[in-house]
Amino acid sequence: MTDLTIAIAKGRLQAEALALLARAGLRLADEAHLSRRLAIEDESERYRFIFIKPADVPVYVEHGIADCGIVGRDVLLESEADLLQPLTLEIGRCHIVVAAPNNNLNDGFGMLRVATKYPRIAAKHFGERGQPVEIIELSGSVELAPVLALADCIVDLVETGATLRENGLQIVEVIAESSARFVVNRASHQLKAKFVSNLLEAVKAGMEETVVRPPSPFSRGPG
Amino acid sequence: MSESLSAIPSGVRYYFGSEAHLRRAIEHVAMSIFKAWSYEEITPPTVDYYSLFERGMGSVKAQDAFRFTDTDGKLLALRPDVTSGIARAAATLMSKRERPLRFAYAAPVFRLRAESHAEWRRESTQIGCELIGRNGCAADMEVLAIAVEILSSLGLDGSYTITINDLEVFNGIVGSLGLDALAQEELRELVDTHNAGDLERFLASYASTEECASFAQLVQLSGRSEVFENARGVITNERSVAALDRLEALWTVVDSLGLSANFEVDLGDASRLNYYTGLVFKIYVAGVGMRVGSGGRYDRLTANFGKAESAVGFVLDLDALAEAMRANESTSRLSEEPAPVVSLLIDEDPTALFREALRKREQGDKVLISPKREVMP
Repeated sequence: MTDLTIAIAKGRLQAEALALLARAGLRLADEAHLSRRLAIEDESERYRFIFIKPADVPVYVEHGIADCGIVGRDVLLESEADLLQPLTLEIGRCHIVVAAPNNNLNDGFGMLRVATKYPRIAAKHFGERGQPVEIIELSGSVELAPVLALADCIVDLVETGATLRENGLQIVEVIAESSARFVVNRASHQLKAKFVSNLLEAVKAGMEETVVRPPSPFSRGPG
Repeated sequence: MSESLSAIPSGVRYYFGSEAHLRRAIEHVAMSIFKAWSYEEITPPTVDYYSLFERGMGSVKAQDAFRFTDTDGKLLALRPDVTSGIARAAATLMSKRERPLRFAYAAPVFRLRAESHAEWRRESTQIGCELIGRNGCAADMEVLAIAVEILSSLGLDGSYTITINDLEVFNGIVGSLGLDALAQEELRELVDTHNAGDLERFLASYASTEECASFAQLVQLSGRSEVFENARGVITNERSVAALDRLEALWTVVDSLGLSANFEVDLGDASRLNYYTGLVFKIYVAGVGMRVGSGGRYDRLTANFGKAESAVGFVLDLDALAEAMRANESTSRLSEEPAPVVSLLIDEDPTALFREALRKREQGDKVLISPKREVMP
């Protein structure tokens, strides 16, 4: 029986998250690394890792199936899950932005069509400024929407900005900064307090080892 | 119309068999314990004015209620909470009664939206109690002791944790920083999610770097008696310090009673404030991913109904308790005792059959009227 189950968002964050956990002393056998299993134990057999889609990490952790997890702030904002977020990790830095083919989105006060994978974040952002929007929820390749005139603009996650540029889009506005968060289930935080706080300390120590940040193409945005 | 006959609305369900039995048995255990602590059973109306819940729970929380209109056009609601109804009764119907009032209940509540993503139910049964008209450590300890006895009677000893905090610690900090309502809510959320990193950045415009770092550490402080010492090193405003004193006094009693192994102090517990004013506590049980119960002091609630007085209470979620018992394999202590069953045939003369059935029932036997002779377990 393992002490803790840790949910890791697959994809963009996965390699960096595992590297960070390795610095914190949680190592996966190489063989396990390569396997396609979705749940594996670390070498100490004290931790069980599960690899799931980013949007599912808050779900597993909120239900307490996973005690903790590593997931981007973008996913947390979108999920509105009720979790503890004791650590901001210095990995997976990116921005949630509004991007469009040209810069003057706000010359009209009519309806704005917004394509996004983040309907809640988009609705909240435009709602706060009283801009009426039609949210078009897509599940991928959001950059294509303005190019083909499905939408006027997009709300999406941007790391380097290369995909935007290649599709003739530019950043109109930065909604929020995002980086990976270490999240903990509320009940686990109390019931497995010792295990959780030990892990938090280890991850903190792991973070203090040198981290190379990818250069950001943005100035610091608001929020 | 081809609506499926089997469909039921989301968030509701049937209970039957051993599960229904377990729920009834848990309710029985809890209500007997309340009774033994001199709490009187009360059941507020299931349907009440929507405005009651706006006054009781605040307008935001009240929006979770199922609403409909009365014949005179007034807005009604299925009760989303039991405490509001009890607070009104205490301040009005029972305003002349001698204090303190002690009430206990086991009643279903209904919410349009589930409280969290991990909770899908829209109907859930709350088991709880209220102690109205008494302030201080003894009153707080009284309800905590009852909660402990219920958890223990359900076989959950050693599996549960009760976290305690005093919201005035947080309110004192807010006051000393001079925050507006919006900033207050942002701070509350950062504290409540133990988000030390963002909290430190948020505080940077209000306090010195050193202070920010210590405040940020504070929200991660959960533990036992050492929390008080650490907190006193950081918090100096009068209001927060007074709250820490109260909390520490309560902790000392908990500790002296030998209960501290099941308790933790969690200064980062600043969940959405509802009606709570001072002490707040949350109950967690191993094997259940969500909290099983919560409670606290709500000294300003009855003032909304015209009579200000101190009050403290808690509520346990019946489904969560049942889940906790299954996870901790303690359900057997409440399982049905096998009683001998007397099977009676219906192809006999009805009068003779029921004369026999009534006689068996008087003796306390379990009877089954059956078309054929069955072999009973």
